[in-house]
Amino acid sequence: MKGLIYSESAQRAKELMSFLKDQMELDLALPEAEAVQASSNGASRVYAIYGDVYEPFAVASAVVSVFDGHDYLFVPATNFGRQVAPIAAQLIKAEMESEIFYFRPEQDGAIVRRYFYGGKTLLEEKTGAKVFTVMTGLAQPAQQGSPSEVIRVEAKGGLSRVLQISGKQKASADITKADIIVSVGRGLGKKEGLELVRQLASVLGAEVAGSRPVCSDLHWLDEDRQVGLTGKRVRPRVYVALGISGQIQHIVGMRDSKVVIAVNKDKTAPIFQECDYGIVGDIYEVVPKLIEKLK
Amino acid sequence: MYVALNILVFLKAIPEDVKEDPRTHGPTVEGVKLKMDDISRNAVEEAIRLKEKHGGRATGITFGSDAATLVMKEALAMGLDEGVLIKGYAGNNPSLTASVLAERVSRMQWDLLMFGFSSADSYTAQVPPMVSYMLKRPLIGNAVSLRVEGKTVKGVSSYEDYNVAYEAEMPAVISVAQEINTPRIPTLLQIMAASKKPLSVEQAQAQSARTLQVLGHTFPMSQRKRIIFEDTNKGVEEVAAVLRQVLGK
Ligand SMILES: Cc1cc2nc3c(=O)[nH]c(=O)nc-3n(C[C@H](O)[C@H](O)[C@H](O)COP(=O)(O)OP(=O)(O)OC[C@H]3O[C@@H](n4cnc5c(N)ncnc54)[C@H](O)[C@@H]3O)c2cc1C
Repeated sequence: MKGLIYSESAQRAKELMSFLKDQMELDLALPEAEAVQASSNGASRVYAIYGDVYEPFAVASAVVSVFDGHDYLFVPATNFGRQVAPIAAQLIKAEMESEIFYFRPEQDGAIVRRYFYGGKTLLEEKTGAKVFTVMTGLAQPAQQGSPSEVIRVEAKGGLSRVLQISGKQKASADITKADIIVSVGRGLGKKEGLELVRQLASVLGAEVAGSRPVCSDLHWLDEDRQVGLTGKRVRPRVYVALGISGQIQHIVGMRDSKVVIAVNKDKTAPIFQECDYGIVGDIYEVVPKLIEKLK
Repeated sequence: MYVALNILVFLKAIPEDVKEDPRTHGPTVEGVKLKMDDISRNAVEEAIRLKEKHGGRATGITFGSDAATLVMKEALAMGLDEGVLIKGYAGNNPSLTASVLAERVSRMQWDLLMFGFSSADSYTAQVPPMVSYMLKRPLIGNAVSLRVEGKTVKGVSSYEDYNVAYEAEMPAVISVAQEINTPRIPTLLQIMAASKKPLSVEQAQAQSARTLQVLGHTFPMSQRKRIIFEDTNKGVEEVAAVLRQVLGK
């Protein structure tokens, strides 16, 4: 059995490689600029895509042009990958399943698991699909391994024009690797409150993360520190949730944490159903006391 | 030349909640009220804003059942000019939904076809790229901003590591991100006026050939301890002890 992984980033391609490596032989397709960083991690072949690498049709066509000889196409579920995969599925007339986090090939199809109803329920399915988007952050990136044969492939025939690529502020750390996380929600009330949160994080040796309102709407934290359905999936030893209500889209991202601690002033907040230890109280009262005790 | 925009916006009616089936203890949405999908609301809002700016018409289309009528009415109250309800939706099947929608709009005149990036219930994100492929029209996906200039549309797509600005000739397919706008809440007057707006109902003859077989559909069990302290001082005491233990201090 042979799988092809397409990803716009070497990092996510390598994570997906480790996730799948026990199941099948793997080839990678990724933009040429990322290819070197993933060309000696055990993939048989690396297809280095050049040309129109930001245009979903051009990329899907390039990926499909090297799909022959593979049984499956896997794409990390990023906002670009989520556009490329459905187009690729249509091009090869294959069925597709989205956002899977479990994959087991069988004789006549594959067993997959994914969340449904925004993360409230879990589906286990058997499918004849060949194309999958896979949740990100499911495994550590593949280690250094055997070198791959590198083959260049041109992405062309895009339907839109790319005008500009603009960088985002990079986080100082990758929260998916953090051992301890202090995560803040809208309950923080003001950006200045982060000072207190950082003090707690420093006492604990933790990374700071946040809910979607804090990262994507209010921009108190960088977007790549967002935990949840549309953010990162984290699995630290300790996850401290401060002023986070605990909506399901947030829970999906931190469900695999070992110990969850919540501070929220509303005792009916759903986060208290999803934590091991909870304190009903105000962040600005509880956190200073906690810092004091831990010093 | 384009003087005004003809916009079609797809909206999805999704269950407000998931219940536990008393017989099977599994999830069910039977009898649960429908609401407008969160991100469809952003798509509707953006369609209305573009129409207000450039003139023209904005039409809502939904693939669902009679139960979606109220959701469509709400979109009309927000400011869409008319609605089309296509019945025959038989559960989540993105490629089938895409082919029904693509077939329907191939018989219409339009400049922009708008979607939410990914609906809050199934969250597959498959429909907009598939429709775009089926119609062979450009796609600007997960757009956080949009601008129409003459015959072209420009949009910025938000990705994880960078943003990309695209330009496409219309007709074009757009999917919007939640961050693109804050949807308006219709006034009582608008809600009343919406009942006079045209809403047509039709039936789709859609056949699914999908091999998908559901093996299990469950509520994920949370194995948390749920030890909650309402006394702050006691809570701080206990939590600090837990943290010290985990940290090995
Ligand atoms: C398709 C979709 C995808 C989404 N993806 C994500 C995602 O990836 N990540 C994510 O986080 N969300 C996501 N969301 C949003 C999610 O539904 C919630 O809206 C969001 O998680 C709420 O964030 P919050 O808990 O910070 O804010 P709120 O829900 O506003 O909660 C704030 C909490 O703080 C408490 N509080 C207020 N003041 C204090 C105080 N002084 N001290 C202590 N507690 C206080 C309140 O009691 C409240 O419980 C998504 C939604 C949709 C529809």
